[in-house]
Amino acid sequence: MSQKRIAKELAELTESPPEGITVELADEANLYEWKVYMDGPEGSPYQKGKFLVKLSLPTGYPFKPPTVSFATRIYHPNITNDEKGSMCLGMLRADEWKPSSKISAVLQFARQLLSEPMPDDAIEGRIADQYNNDNNRYREIAREWTRKHAMAE
Amino acid sequence: MSASTATASTLSDSPRPGRLRRLSQLRAYTQNLSSPSGQRARNSLSSRIPWLSPTSSEFPQSQGTSTSCPDDHSPLSRYTSAPTGYRADSQVSSAESASPPPIDSNRSTDMARLRSVSAVSGRAPRLGRTATPESLTQIQTAPVPAPATTPSPEPTTASDAADLPISTLDAQSPDAPKQRATIRFFPYQDSYQNSRPSLPFVPISRTLPSESCVIRVGRYSERDGIPIPNPVEPSDAPVGFKSKVVSRKHCEFMYVNGQWHVKDVGSSSGTFLNHMRLSQPNMQSRLYTIKDGDIVQLGIDFRGGEEMIFRCVRIRIECNRSWQQQPNEFNKNTESLIKNLGKGETADYSGCRECSICLGSVLRPYQCLFMAACAHVWHYKCISRLLHSPDYPMFQCPNCRAFTDLSAEVDDTNDYEPESKEDKEAPATTEENGPAPRSETQSPSITPLATDMPHQQDAIPEEPDLVTDVENMHLQEPRPDVDTEDSRSTDSPAPDGSSDDLSRSATRSAATNIPGWQSTQPLNVPHVSHLRADTPVRSETSDDNPLTPRNDSGPLAFDGRAGMQ
Repeated sequence: MSQKRIAKELAELTESPPEGITVELADEANLYEWKVYMDGPEGSPYQKGKFLVKLSLPTGYPFKPPTVSFATRIYHPNITNDEKGSMCLGMLRADEWKPSSKISAVLQFARQLLSEPMPDDAIEGRIADQYNNDNNRYREIAREWTRKHAMAE
Repeated sequence: MSASTATASTLSDSPRPGRLRRLSQLRAYTQNLSSPSGQRARNSLSSRIPWLSPTSSEFPQSQGTSTSCPDDHSPLSRYTSAPTGYRADSQVSSAESASPPPIDSNRSTDMARLRSVSAVSGRAPRLGRTATPESLTQIQTAPVPAPATTPSPEPTTASDAADLPISTLDAQSPDAPKQRATIRFFPYQDSYQNSRPSLPFVPISRTLPSESCVIRVGRYSERDGIPIPNPVEPSDAPVGFKSKVVSRKHCEFMYVNGQWHVKDVGSSSGTFLNHMRLSQPNMQSRLYTIKDGDIVQLGIDFRGGEEMIFRCVRIRIECNRSWQQQPNEFNKNTESLIKNLGKGETADYSGCRECSICLGSVLRPYQCLFMAACAHVWHYKCISRLLHSPDYPMFQCPNCRAFTDLSAEVDDTNDYEPESKEDKEAPATTEENGPAPRSETQSPSITPLATDMPHQQDAIPEEPDLVTDVENMHLQEPRPDVDTEDSRSTDSPAPDGSSDDLSRSATRSAATNIPGWQSTQPLNVPHVSHLRADTPVRSETSDDNPLTPRNDSGPLAFDGRAGMQ
């Protein structure tokens, strides 16, 4: 059942992708690992960057939430500042996840988070502090990181 | 063991045997911890909402007022003072604690006023009222604050408050029989905090015979006899739990001004609403509003014993859901859907008719479907995993999170009162303020409400019912672009499965599609947050923020996380 649903969602997302988001399978034979390309939202320091986001779906999907991680390094309070690029999303927590939530909603939420970080829910406390107290510096660094990591050549 | 069991029954006696003394020390410790954590909840709540300064109330524009008037007892400032305020209240001891209702209703009146400005020009029918706590959750921030910044003078509101309950009763009596206040208690397990399971109990439901009734909750005692968990008739029978950490008189649930409230009545081990302790040991608390999905915890696990009898009680509240149990557009649609299944003509059922699990259509004939009490439908195959879960016979709808008891008696009565009357009245009276009584239309309200409010400045001044509405209000940034769309696609009570609804909820309001369930929605949604006047919000308690003190390592020690960041 999960395969059918995933295939359906994939088809939907490929056909009419949400703004700034394109999806494909990491491996054509495996429905459970997705590669998502996310454009940095305009007006955010991530603008013009193209971020690779890995979305992996548990076999229990849609009863279990997918996990989202940034393969492209990104400077953001809600995304771990390491190779893993894990992201905290309230809706993806096991007890807040609802099977009726869709991947498209998850991805749009993730992109929204780029333009509006949530420092109070931060994983990277330091970046969150900076975001709150020295926003200009935060934007500067985030832009720099975007240039360095998220812009292809 | 036998000693402690024996002595445990004399909990309130002194001098206490050693073990019990420890228990009370433990309580005292908890008490100390509860305050900072409460504050934390407040901080994180307000700071999460970008436009709210830490001192601001739920009405952004009133920031200035509430900070500049330290003794402002307007409903607005009360919100922020709540977590600390309850301590003060309880310290004043019984004199003060004997009179929380006035305070509360005073506040309510302000709310009522405030609301009346913003609201209907006619009394919503009772049906509407029970529904509105959920349905009126969508209000734009902009229009509301104007009245909020100028709370009515204290004296008048105080006197008004006295009249409130009566007028409420009077006004509601006409169709009261059908629309009684109902509350249900379900066991709740803290799934992601690895805590020990709380006391199991069968779901309990109570429908108040009259609004003045109070549901007393305390330790089960033989003398009271076995409490009936689910009386068919309206009942305010006390609710008993077989746990030593529950006091004989622990807390009370009451229905005031169209809103359910909880109050600690001097329990020794505390009543926690969404992890916030309501009062100090043996002190009464004031009234706290509760809403659907809130978690009320009675007592704290006593770590001295592993038996069930030492477990705390965690209750998931279900209330304000009566709209779901009556004919409404959504379930009537579903009814006709099922009637027409296989007739080849399934057309145009507003709201979505896809199985939210597999996203396939449920409209094809010849397949096994499952319909929950909330009228959401899935393929049996898809939903079966959730049906045959460890929680069986409890089933939680994955769309709207309504709980149902799958083992409940079949209701084959055929005595639906024609709802035509309500149907006609409802849209008429509430047209202007948007949210129709039946909550399925909650979202369309956004624009009408916002624009109409200024014109209704002189609408009925006293509208106690509306208290509930205000307290349940959601603050939300204006998103005019979704309005037209909304009116089309959200005309079902919880059209959660609809494809675009979900994505919208991510960007707009997490609570849009689930009227009764606001608290566990991802609060992290940008733009969106909600809060109530004075009640801690459950979703603030993420796993790194366990506000309820816990004690995993022994009768004397806490792990200390409770009071920490």
